[in-house]
Formats: sequence, structure tokens, C-alpha cells
Amino acid sequence: MRSYFGRKFLIYGLTFFLAVTIDWMIPRFMPGDPITNMLANFSVSSTNSNAYAEMRAYYTQLFGLDLPLWQQYLNFWKSLFHGDLGISTSQFPTSVAAVLLRAVPYDIFLLVPGILLSWYAGNKFGAFAARSRWLDNTISPLGYILTATPYMWLGILLAWFFGIVLGIFPIAGAYSFNIVKPTLSFSFIRNLLWHWFLPFASLFLVGFGGQAIGMRNLIIYEIEADYSRYLEALGAPTRLIRKYAFRNAILPQITGLALSLGVVVAGALVTEVVFSYPGIGYQLLAAIQGQDYFLIQGCFLFIIIGVLLANFIIDITYIMIDPRTRRGMTGETA
Amino acid sequence: MANRMRVLLALVLLTVFAVGCSQATTTVVPATEKTTEKPVEAATEKPAEEPVEEVPSAPETFERSETLYVSGAAWGPPSTWNPFQPGNLANTTGTIGFVYEFLYSYDPLAGEFTPWLAENGEWTDDTTFEVTLREGLAWSDGEPLTAADVKYTFELGQQYSALWFSPVWNYLTGVDAVDDTHVTFTFDDPLYQEWDNYLYSLPIVPQHLWEGRSEEDITTGANENPVGSGAYLYQSHAEDRNIWTRNENWWGNDVFGTPAPKNIVDIRTSSNNVALGMVLKGELDLSNNFLPGVAALSNQYVQTYYPQAPYMLSANTAVLFLNTTKAPMDDAAFRRALAFAIDTPSIVNVAYAQLVKAASPTGLLPSMQQYDDQDVLAKLGYEFDTDKAKQMLAAAGYVDTDGDGLVEAPDGSKIELKVTCPSGWTDWMAAIDIIATSAQAAGINIKAETPDYGAWNTELQGGTFDMTLNNWAIMSNTPWNLYNLLFRHPIQDQMQSGNFGRYDNQEIFDLVDALAKVKATDDEGMKAACADIQELMLTEMPMIPLWYNGLWAQWSTSTWQNWPTEDSENQTLPTTWSGYWQMGGLMTLINLEPVPPAE
Amino acid sequence: MKKQRNKNEFLYFALRNVKLLIGFSVILLFLITGLVGPLLAGNEPFAYVNPLGPQPPSAEYWFGTTFFGQDVFSQFAHGLQATFLVGILGGGIGTIIGILIGFVAGYRGGIVDEILNVFTNIVLVIPTLAVLLIIAAYFEVRSIFSESLFIGITAWPWAARAIRAQTFSLRTRDFVDLARMSGMKPLKIIFQEIAPNMMSYLVMTFILQFGGAILNAATLDFIGLGPTNAISLGLMMQHAVNWGALQLGHWWWFIPPGLAITAIVGALYTMNVGLDEVFNPKLRET
Repeated sequence: MRSYFGRKFLIYGLTFFLAVTIDWMIPRFMPGDPITNMLANFSVSSTNSNAYAEMRAYYTQLFGLDLPLWQQYLNFWKSLFHGDLGISTSQFPTSVAAVLLRAVPYDIFLLVPGILLSWYAGNKFGAFAARSRWLDNTISPLGYILTATPYMWLGILLAWFFGIVLGIFPIAGAYSFNIVKPTLSFSFIRNLLWHWFLPFASLFLVGFGGQAIGMRNLIIYEIEADYSRYLEALGAPTRLIRKYAFRNAILPQITGLALSLGVVVAGALVTEVVFSYPGIGYQLLAAIQGQDYFLIQGCFLFIIIGVLLANFIIDITYIMIDPRTRRGMTGETA
Repeated sequence: MANRMRVLLALVLLTVFAVGCSQATTTVVPATEKTTEKPVEAATEKPAEEPVEEVPSAPETFERSETLYVSGAAWGPPSTWNPFQPGNLANTTGTIGFVYEFLYSYDPLAGEFTPWLAENGEWTDDTTFEVTLREGLAWSDGEPLTAADVKYTFELGQQYSALWFSPVWNYLTGVDAVDDTHVTFTFDDPLYQEWDNYLYSLPIVPQHLWEGRSEEDITTGANENPVGSGAYLYQSHAEDRNIWTRNENWWGNDVFGTPAPKNIVDIRTSSNNVALGMVLKGELDLSNNFLPGVAALSNQYVQTYYPQAPYMLSANTAVLFLNTTKAPMDDAAFRRALAFAIDTPSIVNVAYAQLVKAASPTGLLPSMQQYDDQDVLAKLGYEFDTDKAKQMLAAAGYVDTDGDGLVEAPDGSKIELKVTCPSGWTDWMAAIDIIATSAQAAGINIKAETPDYGAWNTELQGGTFDMTLNNWAIMSNTPWNLYNLLFRHPIQDQMQSGNFGRYDNQEIFDLVDALAKVKATDDEGMKAACADIQELMLTEMPMIPLWYNGLWAQWSTSTWQNWPTEDSENQTLPTTWSGYWQMGGLMTLINLEPVPPAE
Repeated sequence: MKKQRNKNEFLYFALRNVKLLIGFSVILLFLITGLVGPLLAGNEPFAYVNPLGPQPPSAEYWFGTTFFGQDVFSQFAHGLQATFLVGILGGGIGTIIGILIGFVAGYRGGIVDEILNVFTNIVLVIPTLAVLLIIAAYFEVRSIFSESLFIGITAWPWAARAIRAQTFSLRTRDFVDLARMSGMKPLKIIFQEIAPNMMSYLVMTFILQFGGAILNAATLDFIGLGPTNAISLGLMMQHAVNWGALQLGHWWWFIPPGLAITAIVGALYTMNVGLDEVFNPKLRET
């Protein structure tokens, strides 16, 4: 188990290091100069060239872009450990950390239920589908269609149908505009959930399809496996065989969940864009459009850390569930 | 564990569905019947079947009949209330105009200055400007607003060169607070036209609250919970909204009248289509977004300034800048031929579905058209005419020598040019497509290309583009504003705020400088100066004004009425854009009236 | 598990596998539409052909016209070409990198495997889209080719993992041992002995990469980081949403591109299951 953890930590550590380095490069090697782009937004007709140069110098110094590169790199790590991710240029003078902290709750709110529920329901239905030809023929195609659907298209369809045609769900924002201020009141929470439902549903459905298919295929494999045949020959009841098959299939599904996290996160990013849901994805897109490299940097870093953390949690769960890993086996499937 | 989880999941799912359904049944009603129902009921959107809900002590939602919902000004989350941060202030539009105020306001439709904080101002001689402030001005914290605050504000620019208005000190030599209501400005060779611009664009800040602040705080601080002198107070903000409440003690209530809406919710939509959806549902009172389909909706769901095309007032001029340092754009004959080759009518009709108007060849907005010299226009104006463009090209030596249907330069070299705009600016993308196609029809090989904004901006300022669109001169008090953008000088490596094509002609620079120094009261002098500029500009054609982008504004009359239209008595700008509150935006709010509840 | 088998036997089962046939037909249908459609449409995808602007499908404009009066069918057909191109190029690049890394890691084992495995896992953990966004934003003018390249170079870890595991299990087989003892070079063993024995695996990997590349491209396009100066199904959806097609009810603008992507990717997945059944007799429906 120690070597198992050692390996995992090595991978996570390296990933983190690499990600932070790529991250640091973003504003420095992007086309155009971040300060120029930021000042271009200051559409002041009477700004003369002198004042512009002054402002430019001032902001360059403010963002530390006048130092030698290696020092900028070291400073980046240093400030990273202080939780300082710089200042957003598009939301100047708000700090990137503050912007992200505002956005993260919405992501958790969307992703955690989206991932867990789709995983749970998908596995249930997948196992269920493997039960008979008839079920298989109805649930499987549905699963394939759902998992083949691009996230944003499903989002667009839901928004169009429920939001525009039926008009029963809002299709933008996190809560209504007539609310004086967010409180913990029942009506506010209901309003929040009402806005949350469609983005959640589009994440849930795509994930559900993928998980159901995965489970269904795994179960079919397990049922065809030698031990199942053996049990069958021994005259064991089908229920029992299925139970074993499910138990064996659930482990790769946990690993699969970890591996699909990147895809789900990507899905959440576009879903947030479709529904103007103010999470990280929405911020990231705004940052890209606003040439806000420091915010892009922060979003990227946050996504990486989030995915690494989730991977880590899944790893621990896996160890708790699968006794074999405790004896030093690597958690690799495939 | 599995069981517990199952129960939990079931519960979560149930709640979600319950919420979805209960909302579903209740919201259909307000959405569709908003116009006929009593505003009070429509506004709260509380489910009718849950009367047992506790009545909270403070209202949780805004009263619909007292609240104005607007959008289209903010493009990012609110982040600063510092009145000296002009760029990011767009996202807290209202900081200047609602909270901080100006000496004057300017009405671009009538071309008139209105004294605002000032009661009066006049040039006592060529280099002295005296301002008399109104009596009884006050900051929202109760302190009086005096001449000392005005002096303090202007002197901040002298002290900190990072402030955008610091260049005023190139010709301003001193500000003197004579007494509480009198300020004297003294100058050395003033740019009168620019000075007038400062009068309604420099917000006055309270000395007693700003005095102790550091340079960084003043130039870049966020200035949260701003205290100003204006008609509205900062209430709160969130990622996608700014909320302002009326200042009941505003000094201007007696002078200008009280603005009708008690609350203003300024909504930031992530894209125009979201605003469009809200307009259709009646959730927005005024949208200043560019809503492409609005022509079809006008007079039905929404109202616009004109009931027919172009629907909108014109806000700024889209100009095709030509890079005059590159061949063949260095040849005036080629540039003039190109002006005739561009199919502006199609840009207006197809790309914009008639929401805009073709520009005057001088580039001046309709509100400035008294400065268009008609003789110059008759002699040198241009219009879309492919045949004429072909003739002009041939006359200048641009002929098709290799038979591919496209002309070669007089020296026989091939012409391959690109016209650009930032990727994702869809209306402009459609426009440059039309520019390229119509130029091809006249035999000029131009292709449309859409780099990312950052790359486009680098090319624009670095002067590496061939030809590109730009519209950075906003509505203002003087034609100098546009010509200052078009003929910004001196030519430098990086041209950040104008003359992107690097047209280098001292003669026209001198003419623009001469215009800047004409007094605003000297109308004949301004006309003469403009005529000189226009004659040279249209002869040389270093850039081609094409169309006017609109002052996008569409509103609903379900809750608020008396909006300005073509025929209405009050002629003010129906806009919430940053920088426009003092150009009539606030007067529009003062003129609004609530729609009486239908009985 | 996989022995040399008579090719005809595969063909026999392949022609009788409903999933494979359905998937293949759907792909073929869209491929033909993509190839012939532009000729049938007659209009350039960006030409402003309908002066009335947005109109629902009609005899003249099969899929209606966009807000600007552009022919949706023409855009759709051209977009299909882009989609297949991205799928083939992006999926191909991903598969090739995956094959190379998977083979080397699986065959060599030991420290090489260890290093490649760590590398694969790192790339696997980093969310592809976040990286793609950043790479895409680096390039000021993007083409479908560059987009395919980015997608390929970020999508390979899945393929590498699967191929590594397969190679690993084949490596210890008798015929590989035999080849090794006869003095064959490792590269030759990989391509002459191992690769042919997992051809079905490679084909299926390519199909999955193909589908993944299409979905990734659609996402990038939709976010506004797709190819500049081009049309694709994802860009169509982006344009439709930006120009208020949802709010104005122009369903003909955003339904076809999404439906086509779903159908193509779904058909690919179905084909994959079909192939699995063909190659793996245990899964064949009885």
C-alpha cells in the first residue's frame, strides 16, 4: 500500500509541477501583450501618448512583468503558496483568488451531484439493462445516444425546450434579478435550485448515458467470464451470479469515474457557458474573451487542483473498497 | 452505507424535481401576463398555492413597479467603483453619472451643454475659465460639495500622471478656488474643444474622503461603497448585476426632477442572446444590447427610438482604416477607388438587417452633420459604384494583366490584401465578408480574415494589418473627437488610440490641431476648420468611414413609459452605457413615468 | 484469447452484425452527405442568399436559412466535411501516438514502461479541454488541421493505456517468445507479430479516438476557439446561439448540427460494440 501511495503521489506531484509550469507560461507567451490589451479597453478619447506610456509602465510594474523570466517563475511559485494568484485585468482590481472563490461554490453545486448521481443511476440502470434482451435493447441505445451527445447541444436543447418553448425554467444566471440579496431563506434556495436544474440535468444525462453503457458492458463481460460459467454449472442462482458480476464490475467503474473526471469538468465548462451559470467555466470563457491571462491562469490551476483532489479521493475510496490494493497491487485496470 | 446513500440520493432527486415542478407551475403566469396583471403580483413571482409562507420582515424581492431592469452596459462582473478607472467602469456603469457627477452635462442630440454641478461657466478672456457652482450641493454623506472639491479633483491629475486626465495639465496652468462656489481655471494656449470634453467627462470626487488615500488607491483602488453627490446610491452588486437605489436627498431633485425608478438593477448578460430572451419575456425594461433580430420584434414586444429602419440612433462611426505604409494603400488613387468599391448598402441591409445607417463620407455622426461641408461632399463624396471603382482603378494604372479577373498594381505586381476584424464580432465579421466580396467584384483581391482579439489588437496598434475596422470615437461634443482619432499624431511605433493606418501628413495634422483650438462658441470657425479637414481627407482618403453603429436601445412599456422616441417631446438618449449618463441617460430616467396599474 | 482466425469468418459475422451495419450505414450516410451535399446545395456556406433572412426549411433551402439568410444546408454539408476531417486527423494522430507509446511501454516494460506510464497518467489527469483552450488561444489564426493536431496530441493517453495493457499480455505469448529467440528486432516483433494480433483492438481504439476528436472539436468550436475563417458543425451551433436562434425560435439552425454530431458519434460507438462482438465470439448474440 505504501508503494501504491508513493506512486500515486509521485504522479500527482509531477502533474502538479508540470501544470503549474504550463500555467505560468500562459500570460507570458500568449500572443499580444496582456497590458496592451488591458489598456486597449480604456477607451479614453483624450488619452495622449504620454499618458499611455506612463499607464503602461505603471501596470507592467504592478504585475511584475518587468522582472527577468526566472525570477518571475520563482515569484510565481512563491505567491502560489501564499494563495496569491495575481490580479484579474478584466475585473481590475479584484484579485484572481477572489474571483475564483466566488465561482467555485457554483461548480461544486453543479459537479458533485452531477457526477455522483449520474454515476450511481448509470450503474444501476446499466446493471439492470444487462438483465434481459428486451431491457438491453431499450436502455442501451438510449445510453449510447446520451453519451454521444455533445454537452452543449443537450444544453441547448434543454434550454430551448424547457426554457423557451415551455418557459418553465430559466436559462441564464444563478438566481433571479428581482432578489434584493442572497439569504438563506427558503424562497431564495428554491430560486437557486430552479436556476440550477437545467445545467445539472444536461450534465447528469450525458454522464448517465456513459456510465450505464460502461456498466452494462462490464456486466456482460463478467457474466461471460469463466467463474460465472463455473457458478452457473454448479447450479448457482442467476441472482447470485449477477451479484458477483456487479461487485466485480463496480471496481473498474470507480477507476473509470476518475478517468472521466476531465471529460465531466470539460462538460461543466460548456454547460456553464450555455446557461450563463457563474462557475469557473463561465469565468474562464469570459477571461479568454477579455484577454485576462491572469484569470485564465487561475482558472486552469483551479481546475487542475480540483481534478487532482477528486482523483485522490477516488483513489482512497478504491482502496477502501478493493482489498487487493491494500496488499500492494497497483490500482490499474484495463 | 449503500442504503444510506440511496436514501440520500432519492431525497436530493425528489427535492430537485419538487422544486422544478413547483416553480414550473408558478412562473408561467407572470411571464405571460406580466403586462396585464397588477405589477405588484407579477413582480414577486411567489407561488400562488403556498399562501402559508411566512412574510419576512424585509422584502426579499424588489417591487416591480418601483424597479427598472436594464442591461447592455456591463460586459464583465462589477469590479471597481473608482471613477478614475474608465475602462473597467463600464461594468459598474452608473459609478460616474449616478454617484459621481460633472460640472456639465452634454446633450449630443441638441448639441447643447447643460450646467450640472456648475450653475454657470464662462471664458472671461482667452486663457481664463470661471465656473460658478450651484448653491446647496452636497455629498451623499451630508458634507457640502464646494469649489475645493473641484480644485482637488483637477489637481489629482497634476499630481498623478497615471490618471487618464492628467494631460489636461499640458495646457492647464492652475485651478483656484476663489470661494465655496467659485473656481477659476487658468490656461496656456488651451485646446478649447478638448477642455469642453473634460467639463462633462471628469467626475468630481469628495476631497474629505479622498484626501488621505495613497497614490495606488486613487489611481487603481476599487473604491468600494462609493460616496458621491449624484441621484443614485450604491446598493449592492453581484457577479451579474449592479443595484442602485435612489438618493432621496439628492440636491438635484429640485433642479432637474426626481428620477422615477426607486431601484435600478443593471444586469450583465453573458451574451446578447440572453438579453434577447429576457426582452421577449418582459424581464428587461431597457436593453442596450445589440439584438440582431430586433427589427422583427420592434413595435410588438419592444419599442425603439425610430419605429422603422434604422430603429436606433447612431452612436459611433465604423471606419475602415487602410495601412498607408503598405502598397498599394500608399496610393491615394487606389484608396479612393476602394471607397467606391465597397458595398455599404449590403452591410446595412444584410449584416445589420437595417439596424444601422450608412455613414457620411466625412465620418461625422448625424448629430454633428452641421459640420459636414456640402460643397466638399458634392465634389469628393463617394458611394457604392462598382463600375466607377473599376474606371478609377484603370485610370490610376491598376489593370488586370494576367487575366485572372483581378487587377495588378501599376508596377505589375500582384495585389493580395486582407481585411480583418476580431474573431467572434459577428456583425463585423459579416461586414468584412461583404467588403471583401464587393472589392473582389471591382477587381481588387481582398480576403476577409478574423484573428483573435489579442492578435487583432497587436496588428492594429503595431501597424502590421492591411485594412481593418475600428470605431473608437464615441459620441461627443465636438467633431474634433473623431478627427483626433483618425489623424492622431505624431506617428509612433505603437499607435494606441488612433491613426492606425499611420497616415503621415503634417498638413492635415495642423488642420486638426487648429480645430482643437477653435472655441466652441465660434461655430463658423469650427465649420471652416472642419471643411478644410474634410477636403483633404476625402482627396487623400487615408481611411474610409462606412456606417454608424447604433445606440442600441430597445425597451418595454409594460412597467415604465414616456421613453424618448423620434416624435416624443423629450429628446434624450435612451442608454445606460458607461459615459452616457451625463449625455442624457440620466435625464431619460428623470422623464420616465410608471405605467399605472391596469384596472 | 485472440488466435489466428479465418478472415472469412470475421466477414461472415461482420455482415450479420446488426450494430455494425447500422453504425456503418449512419456513418456512410453522413459521409456521402458531406461529400455530395456541397454540390447539391449550390450555395456557398457564407453567401447571403436569402434576402428574407431567417426562414424555416423549404424546397429551396432544405434546412432553412440563418439569421443573415445563409443556406443552413450548405453550412451543414461543409461542416460535415470538417467534422470527418477532424475525426480522421485528430483521431488518427491520437491513435498513432497512443500506439507508439503503448507498444513501447508494453513491450519494453521495466523502467521505460514506468516512465511512459507516469507520463501517460499525467497527461490523463490534466483536463484535456483546459489544455486545448490554452493551446487554441495561443494560435491567432486557426485551421481545421491545427485544431485536429491539438486534439490528437492531447487525446492519446486513453489509447496508450489500452494498447499497453494488450501488448503486455501478448508479450509473453509463445509466438512472441519464439520470434524473440529467433533473433528478430524488437521493432519488427512489435509490427509483425504483436500488431497483427491486436488489429481489432487498434481499429476499435481508432474508432473511439475518432468519436472523441469530433466531440472535442465541437466543444472548442462552440466556445469560440474553433477554426477561424471556416465552418464546422460546432461553429454552426455557436453562431446559432449567438444570434439568438433559441430565443427567436430558429430551431432549424441549431438542431441539425448537434443531431449530426450525436448520430455520427453514436454510430461510431455502436460500430465499436458491433466490432467487439465480431472479434470476440463470447459476446456474439446467440
